[in-house]
Amino acid sequence: MLEANQNPGCQLIHPMQRREFLKYTAMLTGGLAVLRTPFGWAIEKDFPILVIAKEGSPGELVRKAVAKLGGMSRFVKPGDIVIVKPNMSWDRVPEQAATTHPEIVREVVSMCFEAGAKQVKVFDYTLNEPRRCYKRTGIQSAAESAGATVPFISERKFKKVPFPEGELIREWEIYEDVLHADKIINLPIAKHHSISAVSLGMKNLMGLIGGNRGQFHRQFPKKIVDLSTRIRPTLVILDAYRMLVRNGPSGGSLSDVILKKTVIAGTDPVAVDSYGASLFGLYPDQVPFLVEAKTRGLGENNLKKISTVIVS
Amino acid sequence: MRTLRRIVQITSLLVFFIFFLLATYPFHTRIPVDFFLRIDPLIQWTAILSSRSFYAIGFLSLLLIFLTIIFGRFFCGWICPLGTCIDFFDNTLRHKPKNGKYSPGTLGVYFKFGVLLFLFVTALFSLQLSGYVDPISIMTRTTTTVLYPIFVFLIEGVFRILEWIPFLASPIQKFETFLQSFLLPISPSVFRGSFLIGILFLGILLLGTLQKRFWCRHVCPLGALLGLFSKFRLYHRSVSEKCTACGICYQNCRMEAIGKDFKSTQYTECINCMDCEAVCPVGAIQFGFSKKGEPAKVDLTRRKVLSAGASGLFAVALFKTSLIHPVQKAKAVRPPGALVEDQFLDRCIRCGECIRICSTSGQGLQYAGLETGWSGLATPILLPPLGYCEYNCNLCGQVCPTGAIRSLSLEEKHGVKMGTAHFDKTRCIPWYYGENCMVCEEHCPVPEKAIKFREERIVTIDGKEAVVMLPYVVEELCVGCGICVVRCPVEGEKGIFLTNAGERRFFAKG
Repeated sequence: MLEANQNPGCQLIHPMQRREFLKYTAMLTGGLAVLRTPFGWAIEKDFPILVIAKEGSPGELVRKAVAKLGGMSRFVKPGDIVIVKPNMSWDRVPEQAATTHPEIVREVVSMCFEAGAKQVKVFDYTLNEPRRCYKRTGIQSAAESAGATVPFISERKFKKVPFPEGELIREWEIYEDVLHADKIINLPIAKHHSISAVSLGMKNLMGLIGGNRGQFHRQFPKKIVDLSTRIRPTLVILDAYRMLVRNGPSGGSLSDVILKKTVIAGTDPVAVDSYGASLFGLYPDQVPFLVEAKTRGLGENNLKKISTVIVS
Repeated sequence: MRTLRRIVQITSLLVFFIFFLLATYPFHTRIPVDFFLRIDPLIQWTAILSSRSFYAIGFLSLLLIFLTIIFGRFFCGWICPLGTCIDFFDNTLRHKPKNGKYSPGTLGVYFKFGVLLFLFVTALFSLQLSGYVDPISIMTRTTTTVLYPIFVFLIEGVFRILEWIPFLASPIQKFETFLQSFLLPISPSVFRGSFLIGILFLGILLLGTLQKRFWCRHVCPLGALLGLFSKFRLYHRSVSEKCTACGICYQNCRMEAIGKDFKSTQYTECINCMDCEAVCPVGAIQFGFSKKGEPAKVDLTRRKVLSAGASGLFAVALFKTSLIHPVQKAKAVRPPGALVEDQFLDRCIRCGECIRICSTSGQGLQYAGLETGWSGLATPILLPPLGYCEYNCNLCGQVCPTGAIRSLSLEEKHGVKMGTAHFDKTRCIPWYYGENCMVCEEHCPVPEKAIKFREERIVTIDGKEAVVMLPYVVEELCVGCGICVVRCPVEGEKGIFLTNAGERRFFAKG
């Protein structure tokens, strides 16, 4: 039983499974045999780490951003079970910018299916009443219209698993579906946050864990990085179409919302969050959890060192 | 006719349960989920009498009275959900005596009239007790706190067992999600007092082992009230010349409504169950609008009337002089839109419709214990950390059958202060441990945030200096929803608690 719990975990940390490894080894040998460089490698290197898409509707922005990163087929393989994790934690409407824009969710789900995904699940462990959150954020209907399944969280499906790279969190409850998924796409919204200064991609992963989540807020930077060592999304798409700049993370007042019309996509969770922090006028060095993440080798927080492409 | 009655009974019970299930978020205001409570003259009239104010929905009960004058106590025999449960229980668990040993008729049927009189006397002195014994109120309360949770528990149990079969796991989960859309809760609730409420319900059913429909014959005050009007009924039992005086009808009558001569009928008691018509071997019994025969005697003596009235007065005095602890009372946070406390207690019939609908959205409302004294027992209070009041929810006021909780628009509700949160500095993480936390502020639904921080250099418990964001509550902004208490990560006693300080209450219209 313990082994069964650990294996899917390994899957998240090392995206390459045994079967895949064998496949690639075979491909590599085969490639060398005909004196050809392995196809995948050459492409990986040509893509930027970050893509910033500006000006347009939320749907257009996310399409442009992902296309520039190499298209969804770079991340989602035919037959994959994909979890798309937007922020739909609050009983708020999209205009209040406390939750991910539904159009972005819809577009991402569509792209996953276009890339051949077998199933796309969209869910969040909400903080207000689940049905209210799913409905009022507009995400449930948007995701379902693109063909995703949008289940409610059921408490019994949280499984306590070890965090091998965790410093403070040695084990914690993670949602079963997350442990069994092939790919995770993180879809946060850029918000002000009273505890972490900003709530971006790494913070958004908290919607996939159970337990006494409030306890996470003590020594937050270390714990949130611990979580990011355990759940590693294939792709992070940050919704900064609207930004909640004050009174986050739940907001509520339209006067705290600004229209930024920006979507950031990237493969490095720290890079995405660092760029997101800069939108709030914060240097990543000022944000403790980004410093911690950089120190622990989770990604790059120096914006000058990140290969970035801006499309508009 | 007996078969028809059984069909109507089952249908009526099903409608009752369907209305119960419909009292949920998302809520359709067009459906009167509290229909059975609205037409119930006992609770409506005592609520009106007790609060000395009329309100529109209270008049719907006149319809039932009108029908009772025509058809007698048909409500008890055909409609009442508790009556149906009792019948079901009586028929399944009681052995049918072969030679008729029912209806000893030794206890008499006056007691329930005493209960009725008692309730009206207490209501006259503004003490609302009818909700504790009214059958519809009992049924609503029991369904919310006992029957539904048990039902959910059993269904879930079956699903968990079936999930062990590998190929069934996935379809079961899909089916469960499907059921969640109308039958099962998203997150199951448990309720304060459910144990006691369950025992009382079981007790009522077990009374049936003494006599069939014991509760309805001897105790039920609604049955008594309808019985009074049933005396003038137009539709009634009549016995033709064919009667051989075999007495089978007398033995089978579940309400001891048939006189010892087998021909006369106690019109206050007969619930039109049509059993006598069905069992009569010679077909001598009919129900119709024919001329009435001699009614059987009702043994309601003056002494009994006086004793019921006197015990009503005694109860009023006893309740009104019971201790209300001020600290406990401050913890009784009422639902948003609740009337001022006196009127609230007069109007509230303890049915728990509000608690039911709240359990599907926020799960904050629970039955009060003795926080507001004995006269407030089983009224709704907001009880974090068990749950909280969902900011964008105003459903409790929409389902209250007596207007004890006023129906508010969402804009109005956002402006209604139910109470105030207070920090417990000996428990709160920043205040006590000197570490930043802020989870309460994160969840505060008020756009301006009723919890704010001041940065301060403090000495921590182990003597170190630290700069900490210390939280405080802005009383004018706090609406008293209690979500901060629920989400406070401190285990055990929370770092923040709720009182009804500064609460805004309403006066009854009219």
